[in-house]
Amino acid sequence: MSLLVDRAFTALCWALAALGIALPVGIVAFLAVRGLSVLSLGFLVDAPAGLPLGSGGGIGPAILGSLALVGIGAAIAFPLGVGGAIYLSEYDPPRLLARAARFAAECLAAVPSIVYGLFGYAFLVVFMALKVSLLAGGLTLGIVMLPIILIGAQEALKSVEASQREAALSLGVTTAHALRRIVIRRAMPAICAVTVLALGHAFGTAAPILFTAATIFSRGDIGLSTPVMTLPTHLYYLTGEAVSFDHAYATGFVIVVILLAANFAALALKARVGRD
Amino acid sequence: MLVGGATLLLIAFFVAREAAPALLADHGIIGFLFTDPWAPLADPPQFGIRHAWISTLLVTGVALAISVPMGFAIGAFLSEIAPRAIGSIVQPCIDVLAGIPSVVYGFVAYVLLLPWLADAFDLSTGESVLAASLVLAAMVLPFVASGSAEAFRAVPRELKEAAYAQGVTRFHVIRRVIAPHAASGLFAAVALGLARAIGETLAVLMIAGNSIATPASLLDRAQPITALIATELGEAGVGSAKYHALFGAGLVLLVIVAAINVAVWSAKGRLVAAR
Repeated sequence: MSLLVDRAFTALCWALAALGIALPVGIVAFLAVRGLSVLSLGFLVDAPAGLPLGSGGGIGPAILGSLALVGIGAAIAFPLGVGGAIYLSEYDPPRLLARAARFAAECLAAVPSIVYGLFGYAFLVVFMALKVSLLAGGLTLGIVMLPIILIGAQEALKSVEASQREAALSLGVTTAHALRRIVIRRAMPAICAVTVLALGHAFGTAAPILFTAATIFSRGDIGLSTPVMTLPTHLYYLTGEAVSFDHAYATGFVIVVILLAANFAALALKARVGRD
Repeated sequence: MLVGGATLLLIAFFVAREAAPALLADHGIIGFLFTDPWAPLADPPQFGIRHAWISTLLVTGVALAISVPMGFAIGAFLSEIAPRAIGSIVQPCIDVLAGIPSVVYGFVAYVLLLPWLADAFDLSTGESVLAASLVLAAMVLPFVASGSAEAFRAVPRELKEAAYAQGVTRFHVIRRVIAPHAASGLFAAVALGLARAIGETLAVLMIAGNSIATPASLLDRAQPITALIATELGEAGVGSAKYHALFGAGLVLLVIVAAINVAVWSAKGRLVAAR
């Protein structure tokens, strides 16, 4: 009897693991099969056209807009996140402060994406009078990325062996020197890996930028004070208004391909950490 | 670093500040949460979010009921059953599943799941609590699976081997020895999945049906809190009653997620204390 239960459980686990493979592969393959017919160089660089808007043309401005938003976000979140992590794990801050900061970061990481959007709207768009713009959306995405990078970088620094640090310090160099030449160098691949994941997350998320940066149409001119098209909000618009499912498949496929590339880059970086 | 803490406070402060008028309005918090309907066109307009939090609760509950057992099984598979080669295929696939953005899930569900549900249950479009729950289950699954695999792996090796040495089956060892030992890690995995499910926006916005009626069954349309905010914020004038009500809804989300996080932290604390 118990042997039978064990067999059934094992079989169930195998089946669910197979589902765990089939789901992502299926989703990506589905988008690829349906989207490839629309995909062309023109689709990737042209502005949307046609009536209703988006049923023709391409997604060039959306790709540019998404990249610009994530770029601004990263320019803010990377130095703050890595700097904060270095202070927390290398400069021996008061224990209470360290715990409070970590707790704040974990809470921040769990804040629902739409609440980031609310905050960005109330604080940046309205209160700071930035209007719905690339800058407001980029700053909002920076806040979305910050806790992910901070927590990941802290873990990366923690996993550098103490012996390495002590060996460096015993040579009589300053803490800052040991940090720069030994610790950060060792932790860098893992820090880059988590940053890439954070970028990917920010790239695909729509809720924080829906009301802070996104617009339905732009010709692709990028300016800090103008709203931009983005890939996720464009896909939402194409589906929600039932504009063009062909274009939606292709847009979804482009998003997933870019994210897969980011994922593989992160994996490759992680593998590099494992090697040395 | 302080920026992290400051940002959190700033977010909480701003959302609370904009939410206050809605909570202090005629019917107070009780009206806002329990009795008032969402009726922006009524005279006077009323902005209660009962339908939204009931939708959130329903959708999240069903999603977790599906994804938690499945996630635990995949976690057990990765940690205890899978041969190395298989595990190294499944894990990246799970990671990819976690990386697919909400809007893509929403879109795929919109074109695949909705027609199928409409057919199977004879609904007009398939948009329903059930549809949203199924998609959320798929989105939460990788987080529960990875988290529980980690928790299972953290159980000391000697303990597992001692249990196997008794000659009992693997299922028995996992259920009676490994799972109880990994309990707080499993709890954390579920809690993180829960926080994610509650905050999920785009997918539920696209497939839950966006109806302001309170859902009474799994086949009814619904509008979780996140979808309510995403739908209405664009049309709410800054400083209007609706605007404040939406921030009130955001504050409710924030409070729920903060409570979950505190629970996770105290579980972690217990884990450390137990060692």
